Amino acid sequence: MKFQPDSLRPPYYALWLINLFASSEETESLLGDMHEEFSELVLTTGVAPARLWFWRQTIATLPHLFIKSFQGAPWLTAVAVIAGFLLMRTVSRVPETAIFALLPRYRVFENHFSTYVFFSTYGIALGHVVGSLFVGFGVAVVAKRREMIATTALALVFCTLIAISWFASISWRWPVHDAITWLLWQCADPVAIVVAGVMVRNRRSRGQILRCT
Amino acid sequence: MFYNVEVMPDRDYLGEFEHLIVLALLRLDDLAYGVTVRQEIELRTKREVSIGAVYATLDRLERKGYVSSYRGDPTPQRGGRSKRFFRVTQKGIAAVNRAQHALRRMTAGLDFIRSYS
Repeated sequence: MKFQPDSLRPPYYALWLINLFASSEETESLLGDMHEEFSELVLTTGVAPARLWFWRQTIATLPHLFIKSFQGAPWLTAVAVIAGFLLMRTVSRVPETAIFALLPRYRVFENHFSTYVFFSTYGIALGHVVGSLFVGFGVAVVAKRREMIATTALALVFCTLIAISWFASISWRWPVHDAITWLLWQCADPVAIVVAGVMVRNRRSRGQILRCT
Repeated sequence: MFYNVEVMPDRDYLGEFEHLIVLALLRLDDLAYGVTVRQEIELRTKREVSIGAVYATLDRLERKGYVSSYRGDPTPQRGGRSKRFFRVTQKGIAAVNRAQHALRRMTAGLDFIRSYS
């Protein structure tokens, strides 16, 4: 068996991205075509322009895969996204409620002030991220084979809301440092939702490969 | 007063990019698959086209019944993946003929070189 040097292969992460959003039937012809043109470009223009071309094609192709995936089951995807949004609204209150119920019970404020500060700031934020991860898993499972479109769409909804709140906070003259810290913590939630989608997708793909072999 | 009314089929028309794709398939005949279709359109229209846009349009045309597809053999040059060849159906040929006629009727009598360049 012959091994190709890494530089002569298409960019690994571009392939990974297409595999995430495309169905198995699509990847066969789509990646085959991209691989063929990439091989031709490596010979005619060199490795770097060929890799750049592959990345450009990947970025231009992803929105089409996204739309096609949505059109394949629009109602199921919409239901998964709406259910995820409502679940997220409920889940997001849980860490704060739980932490502020537990901290006074163990008199943390009086005895361990630094622990109190940690749980009431980072503890709540981490709780949000874990909650988002679980919501992402739920949405990905409900959306079946459209886990990436459903979780990405839900993450985009939250990103839009975060962006609106961030610009509003800037206009209320929040200190920029606080606004940026707030933005980073808020962005962790949509990222966690997409990460959950990727994990479910990878697990399902692995399952498919195992069934095929 | 009487009018000659031509009944138009409901939503049975080609969009601009669909039109280009069907024309590319007709030009390429038996050699029409993703790579050749994309390159043919880029070469003749001088506009950059993504392979994703080509496949999205080809899938839409296949759903409308304008094109059909079949799989070729896998090749090492394609990382062991097979080609998906496309062919224009009779319904597709009728649609492209209608689009061409409409375009010819709309452009008849217009002097593009003198008036609009």
